[in-house]
Amino acid sequence: MTEGFGLPSRFGAQGLGGCYAPETLVQPLLDLEAAFRAAISDAAFQSELKAELRHFVGRPTPLTSAPRLAAKLGLKALFLKREDLTHTGAHKINNALAQALLARRMGKSEIIAETGAGQHGVATAAACARLGLDCTVYMGVVDMARQAPNVARMRLFGAKVVPVEAGQGTLKEAVNEALRAWAGRCDKAHYILGSALGPHPFPTLVRSFQTVIGEEARAQMLEQSGVLPEVVLACAGGGSNGLGLLVPFLGDDLRRVVVEAGGHGSALGEHAARLDGGRMGVLHGCKTLLLQDEHGHTAETASISAGLDYPALGPELAALALDGKVEVRRASDDEALSGARALCEAEGILPALESSHALALLPALAAEGAATVLLGLSGRGDKDLSTYQSRLGI
Amino acid sequence: MSLNPLLPFIMAGDPSLDALPGLLSEAKALGLDAIELGLPHSDPIADGPVLQAAAHRAIARGATPLRVLEALSGLQDSPDIILFTYLNPLLQIGAEKLKALLAPTPVKALLVVDLPFGEEASFEAELRAAGYPMVPLLAPTTTLDRARQILSERPDPGPAAPFAQRFAYVVARLGVTGVGQGAGQGTDLGPVAARIQGLRTLGDRPLAVGFGLSDARSLNAIRAQGATPVIGSALVQELAEGRALHEVLAPRLLADV
Repeated sequence: MTEGFGLPSRFGAQGLGGCYAPETLVQPLLDLEAAFRAAISDAAFQSELKAELRHFVGRPTPLTSAPRLAAKLGLKALFLKREDLTHTGAHKINNALAQALLARRMGKSEIIAETGAGQHGVATAAACARLGLDCTVYMGVVDMARQAPNVARMRLFGAKVVPVEAGQGTLKEAVNEALRAWAGRCDKAHYILGSALGPHPFPTLVRSFQTVIGEEARAQMLEQSGVLPEVVLACAGGGSNGLGLLVPFLGDDLRRVVVEAGGHGSALGEHAARLDGGRMGVLHGCKTLLLQDEHGHTAETASISAGLDYPALGPELAALALDGKVEVRRASDDEALSGARALCEAEGILPALESSHALALLPALAAEGAATVLLGLSGRGDKDLSTYQSRLGI
Repeated sequence: MSLNPLLPFIMAGDPSLDALPGLLSEAKALGLDAIELGLPHSDPIADGPVLQAAAHRAIARGATPLRVLEALSGLQDSPDIILFTYLNPLLQIGAEKLKALLAPTPVKALLVVDLPFGEEASFEAELRAAGYPMVPLLAPTTTLDRARQILSERPDPGPAAPFAQRFAYVVARLGVTGVGQGAGQGTDLGPVAARIQGLRTLGDRPLAVGFGLSDARSLNAIRAQGATPVIGSALVQELAEGRALHEVLAPRLLADV
């Protein structure tokens, strides 16, 4: 293992994660870990972060009971953790803001970020505007087209959005380009990675800034219903939302489930279901379950959701899945659309396409006998309106 | 030991795998000791636009890792090859099979861009024991302490070993491979000269310097430091435009005029 890290850089029995970074980035990653460790044990940083999460982000987010949807599905109770109600509309802001504060503390004046669905890009752009940091966001051209409102929001917040044309023009290519940009400017810039992936310490850092979701939800469940749910459920792209909700429940006797993008078929290239379809490999600095061809080249993926089409599962989440602590399921594009429509009609809440994948699993969980479910509603669906309009014929 | 005057980089499969033996033979005829050969990868995160495009062209033309290694099998008329790639394709082949595939080729060392020492220790040790050491990379961000550690983890096998197995690769500047963006702007070589001086205090290992070098002036400036300049993107670009390897390299081999 790379010497000098103070936090464990590997996850699970198979040692996923690691720091498979080009040498240029190794020292910046060592510096980042040191700054992170210093910050989290510094009361001043913690109190500034807490205040920003409360007054800027709008935390704690509500836990909303969804009785009409629960009744329709045959569940006894369904609770939604409302990350869609955060400022900028998704859980991504929890990490983006915390890392922006960390960057400022490190004396960095410039921020680089990648984005898929645009939620992490918008969150980073907003955090940078608030803290007075220059912001450049790399985004695949296909994602820019399907998440156009988020491109406009980033630009309004003063961020430079750089289109990435390579490959299939989605999140993987945006990460490639952000890593390249960081290698060129790592003396001045901090890279705010948005998901629980990449080289150590990013997976741990991102997860640590996202577990506020599950910590709040666990306390709210106990307060509002007196008991913990039987199932805790979230969607999973890289895993920031899934880990953020599930990690605080790791010590509890309940089912922890994440839902991957089933896309429109089961052949390689038609989905982003990494647990069944992936093999152990290294991409973007970490070892994890990766959709790849027989030559070790990263495979194409497909999902209606721009936030779930990443070809690798974050290493900690993959390790939890392989060690049997988290179940990984999948939902197709069509099932996700049905899940979204059901929530809209029963509860008056428009979910993001990502969160809709978690909603899509509810009928199956009910059929398996689950009675109470806590679902992480990771983001709101305004950015996806054009997809909903065209696919649902409304 | 005389200075190896130039370390060229070419991408396997670009312009074609059929052309590869000819390119290697031309390089040998120019008197070059060693050459870096890129094994194309789908996601080359340390490469600039020229090498990205070359990798994607090569993959599209079927230059898979196994076909590249087959194309190298049995080649005699070649400089020593440093196989330059990313970890995942090698990991998927596995150390055992990789050793067998490399045995009949002129490959003498591996340069795996995204493999810091220690991250895949048993894989690396197995390949080193079979005669395929990993080239140590030293970046502008690498502190002298870390450089010392890297050079001891990836040790010099000694003067009897060929250059390909001995040298350390000094990354000339921050960023990715390729010539700098500014019009006519080469890489500022002042900082790299100072780094070379610092690295010399750690031992007398041969050094190669790459990233952003292309014109005769910058190549000579590196030679003047007693190090071997690497020419990559500029060569790959000119080969893609149809020029011959010796035509591109011969003028760049000339000593300082």
